[in-house]
This record gives sequence, structure tokens and C-alpha cells, in this order.
Amino acid sequence: MLHTIFAAALIASLAVIPTTALAQGAGVNAGVNAAVTTPVGGVNASVSAKVTAAKAKATKEIDRRIALLADMQARIQTMQKVTDAFKQNLSAAVQTQTTALQTLKTKIDAETDEAVIKADVQSITQSHQIFALFMPQARIAAMADREVVLANMMATLGAKLQARVVAAQTAGAEVAALNLALTELNTKINSANTQAQAAVSASAVLSPDNNDKTKMAANAAALKAARTNLQAAHKDLQDARKAIQTILDGLKKAEASVTATTTAQVQ
Amino acid sequence: MATAIKWIFIVIILGAAGFLVWWSGWLGAAPVPTPTPVEPAPTTTTEQPTNGMSAANDTSDAAVAQDTAAVDVQMQALTTDSANVDSSMSDKQTPQDY
Repeated sequence: MLHTIFAAALIASLAVIPTTALAQGAGVNAGVNAAVTTPVGGVNASVSAKVTAAKAKATKEIDRRIALLADMQARIQTMQKVTDAFKQNLSAAVQTQTTALQTLKTKIDAETDEAVIKADVQSITQSHQIFALFMPQARIAAMADREVVLANMMATLGAKLQARVVAAQTAGAEVAALNLALTELNTKINSANTQAQAAVSASAVLSPDNNDKTKMAANAAALKAARTNLQAAHKDLQDARKAIQTILDGLKKAEASVTATTTAQVQ
Repeated sequence: MATAIKWIFIVIILGAAGFLVWWSGWLGAAPVPTPTPVEPAPTTTTEQPTNGMSAANDTSDAAVAQDTAAVDVQMQALTTDSANVDSSMSDKQTPQDY
């Protein structure tokens, strides 16, 4: 279910639109470059301090984004509850963004014309709107993926604990409190799964705003809703972990009481 | 000469007949060809435990402890994921001079 939502919604909105938009930005820059006559000999010496500073800041900003994308790329590889196709698409989108930024960085570094540098630096600001959508959406997908992984792990552990509780009950232990904790565990696991899927669904409606205030507000609301869903799922999983601990502690006492009773009867 | 050949034939035929009788088990234990052991083809695939979890059917104390530890590792990673989501949503670019 989760990977179906991922594949249908995220690939379209996250993987395609941002790269297209960034590519458009690169196209504009390329057009500007074509009209520029490359100066020769001693130009670097005449580049103003302002341009040098602008280049340094631009490089720093690009490097920061490339590092964030690299971290995102590594995280994508550890996602488990999505299809291989989804991972490949998301990975390709990250790589495309990275390549575009590297290209822009190389271009800015080699550029000597102040007007062109100005346009290149401004393109970083323009691409930030894309980056501001792309990264949260990818991060939301990654966190939702882990939440589903955790829910599955807890369900597996819960089944084992349930078997132990049944065995303790069969041996004569009092397990009413343990059964309540097991019910709590299952409820929280189910809720976490639902919230994680809702987070992905909420973030799937994001689209580049192009400075449209209505779209900007819709995107902000969608991200906020997704974040709320993720936090709810996180809280569910924390509660589920507490239920697990309750069961573990209760099992120790229940199994110890059975052993003590058996020993007393034998004596 | 012809008589000798006949006797040789008779001896060979009797020997062969005796061997067959022995081989069929009439005279006691006959050597039974040892079948080559064949590994039975698995009818189901066993899913390998992932993320540090123990085998799904292992309910021992050690397995439960291992699974609990694996869950805790993922819980910690989830906290990191949560911080990353927050960071990405509040990301501010470095102001540019132009």
C-alpha cells in the first residue's frame, strides 16, 4: 500500500517536476552564456572583489546543497518498503539535481563576466524554491519508510511476545495485564502504519509554486500536514515501544511466579 | 578339444547363473547400490531476518532480546530522520550578494 502511494504520487511530483524546473534554469543560463564573448588575458585580475565574494558565497551554497543531496542519496539506498523502481526514480532525481548543481558550480567558477555571474548566482535563488520542495518531500518519504519498517519489526516481536504470554498463561500465570499491553501494542502499530501512509499522501500534492502565493500556501499546508502525520506515527511507535517493555517486564514476573509455584509444589 | 570347450562353457554358464542367484539375494545379503543422496528441493523460501532481527519463529529469551535491541536501533534512526525532516522544512539558503 505504501509503495503504491509512493510510486503513483511521488515519482510524478517529486522526481520529474523539480529536475525539469532546474533544467529550465540551466537553459536560461546557457542562453546567456552563448551571447557573451569570452574575455582573454588578464581578466581574472580585473574581476572585482565583489564578484570574487559572490562566487565564494555561491560556491558555498552549492556545496551545501550537494552535501545534502549526497546524504539524501545514501538514505534512499536504505529505504526498504518501497519498490526498486521508486528507489531508482528517486535516486535518479537526486543525481540529476546534483549534476545540475555541479555544472552550475563549474560554470560560476570559470565565469569572468560580471553580468553572467550575476545571472548564475540568481539562478541559485530560483532553484532554492525547487530545493525547498524536493528535500522535504524526499525526507518525508524516507521517514515514512522507516516508520513502516519499524511497525513491521514491532509486529514480528509482538507475535513472539504473544506466544510467550500464551505459554505463561497455559502454565498458570496471571496474564490479564500482559494481554492489555499486547492489545495496546497492536493498536499503536496499526495507527503508526496509517499515519505514515497519510504523511506520504499529504506530501504527494506538492508542486512548484512559481511565486504563486496560493500554491505556496498549499505547499506549506501539505508539508505541515505530512509532518503532523509523521510525528503522530513517531509517537505511536514510541508508545508501542513502551508497551513492549511493559510486556517484557510482565513476562519476567509471570514466568518467575510460575517457576516458584512449580518448585513449591514439588517440595 | 571339443569336450574341453564344452566344459569351459558349462563352467562359465554355471558361474554366471550362480552370480545372478547371489545377486538377486536368494543366497543372502546382496550388495544394494547406494543411492546418491539428493537434496530435496525447497518448497518454500525462508525469509532472512533483516535489520538485526532474529528468526521469526524463535521466541527464546535471546531472540526477544535481539529483536528488542534491533527495534531500539531503528527508533534512534527514526529520531534522526525526524530531525532531517524538520531541517529540510526550515532550510534557509545562504543569502547571495546578487
